[in-house]
Amino acid sequence: MPSVKRQTDVRTETTVATTSATITERPWNVVVWDDPVTPMKVVVVIFKKIFGYPDNKCTQLMLTVHHEGRAVVWSGSSERAQGYCVKLQVAGLQATIEQAGE
Amino acid sequence: MARLFVRRRDGRIEVRLNDQGRTIAREAFGHVYAAEHDPTHDWHHTLNSPIDPSKDVDDPMAVLARQAQTGSNAELAIATLHEEFLTEAEAWAWLMTLQVSLRATAAANGLFDLEKLQQADAELRDYIETLQAFLFGLADIL
Repeated sequence: MPSVKRQTDVRTETTVATTSATITERPWNVVVWDDPVTPMKVVVVIFKKIFGYPDNKCTQLMLTVHHEGRAVVWSGSSERAQGYCVKLQVAGLQATIEQAGE
Repeated sequence: MARLFVRRRDGRIEVRLNDQGRTIAREAFGHVYAAEHDPTHDWHHTLNSPIDPSKDVDDPMAVLARQAQTGSNAELAIATLHEEFLTEAEAWAWLMTLQVSLRATAAANGLFDLEKLQQADAELRDYIETLQAFLFGLADIL
């Protein structure tokens, strides 16, 4: 009877040192400003096109712009905020970015 | 009021503007295209408003992207001015270029609030209301 050589699993454990660093940076806001000529409906469809928000959120943001003169429509990284701001300006809305808490 | 733009079952957008309406649209598109390419145009400043007002100068890449997209929308709108039907992308180019034109017209005439808008002369108000009617029509079907 042939002898069976039993193989033993050899496991190599690797210890991975992880360094976690938490970088906290205030987010950037995309702000849309009110103006006296832009139709409300146009603002809603532009928000929907650019951000993909549901209708009721787009309408709520539009009403905030209308009643308060401005609304923060998106918050996040500086680069993405700038990109969204450009899209809103290309669509003809008055938009700027600002760092939250300013 | 008759609808100026109608979404057909095949997805195309029918343009029901008469010659006078298309002439007004051509003027609006043409001004945006010219302003984007001519730094001395009255509207150039409005089309190049600050992205981040806290900085002296905006990121040149963002400014370039804005110029390219605005110019490209205006070009597409001009190229499709006499079409009977628009695609979705062409209709969006119309809406965005008309909206840029509307706001630039208001800014160039100092119409920064409702009171000033109501005090504007009748011809200017008519023009603004016409652009708004075009925008309503497009927003309705997009």
